[in-house]
Amino acid sequence: MKSRIAMMIGALTLLATTAGAHHSAAGIYDLKVEMELKGKVKEWRFANPHPLLKIDVVDAKGVTQEWDVSYGGSAVTHLKKRGYSAQTFKAGDIVIVKGHPTLLKEAHGLLIENGNPTHEDGRPYP
Amino acid sequence: MLPGAERKGETVQHDRFTWRQTLTATLAAAALCAAGYVLAAESGIPKLSGVWQFGQCADGSRMRCLILLENDPLLTDRAKAFRDAMDEAAQPKYDCAPMSIPHMWTDPYSHQIEQFDDRIVFTYGKDDVVRTAWLPNSKHPKPAKNEFLYFGDSRARYENGALIVETTRFAFDPQGLNADFRLPSSTQKKVVERYTREGDDLILEVTTTDPFYLKKPWVYKVRSKRDPEPLALPWDCDASASQDILKMMAPKFPNDPPIKRLPVE
Repeated sequence: MKSRIAMMIGALTLLATTAGAHHSAAGIYDLKVEMELKGKVKEWRFANPHPLLKIDVVDAKGVTQEWDVSYGGSAVTHLKKRGYSAQTFKAGDIVIVKGHPTLLKEAHGLLIENGNPTHEDGRPYP
Repeated sequence: MLPGAERKGETVQHDRFTWRQTLTATLAAAALCAAGYVLAAESGIPKLSGVWQFGQCADGSRMRCLILLENDPLLTDRAKAFRDAMDEAAQPKYDCAPMSIPHMWTDPYSHQIEQFDDRIVFTYGKDDVVRTAWLPNSKHPKPAKNEFLYFGDSRARYENGALIVETTRFAFDPQGLNADFRLPSSTQKKVVERYTREGDDLILEVTTTDPFYLKKPWVYKVRSKRDPEPLALPWDCDASASQDILKMMAPKFPNDPPIKRLPVE
């Protein structure tokens, strides 16, 4: 799986999955779909109310798309308790993230519901 | 043992003396305790000051009791009609506006209570919210007839070992009952908080009434543990971070001109 992702930067792997209800996210993200992305960090905004990771992802057609990776309802204080800081991601870092895509396909948003992004070699952030 | 107690003849007398002394002391202590109880009941001031964690529903449902659902049986037809008409993007939360009570308590952050002679100050770990509830001996003026407030006007009193806070005079709030489902609250919203202690825990019972949007009182009870850590303040909401998610949503009224929000200084 890792090698396939490495060969296809930005290729999307859709996995049917069941997810628990999340009332504030249910109308925005498709909680029945899980997707994995590999991209380059453009910006890490460690701010309230919700930190946001912006990554550039090259799709199957070779077009770069900016994706917004959200931690849902988590705020700075919650992510700090998980070891995150304003320095966790640096511009240019290559990250792999797994989450639920937005219902609005052209919005290019991803919700991380569980777990953390990883480095290319599989080591988790932070 | 007292000196000479080992002498048998006197030991009995000493024992009797000890018994009488013990009885007298017990009665005196009981009287003092009773007096103390009366005093405590009269003062009725529970020790609430400190930092408390996010409350969990006392019925064991974690945070379910705190949430008014999208189609909750408590909602009036007016509430449902507003919910369906309201544009998500127009919710004040995207401009860093805090949640008012009671919806604010669904957010998983600690809060601090400070008890003063004339007021109770509540500081919340989100949105830099500080509420003041005025005790009867306060000279804080009541709001004018034409004055409505985001967090209302809170008046506090101690009663039978509980702190009671009654809040009225809320401004109309499009996210006043639930910001996730666009459930509003009216100027007629009233929130009654009842704070007590059970052992080391803080108990908060909340009763919310709003004749426009609730068919009957919405009542719940949450339990909080002390938080050993201070509040992580300031919250310092970033409006652009708050609004980022809006582009993930299809506009509810696509034929209307796009929304250009006012800059935040």
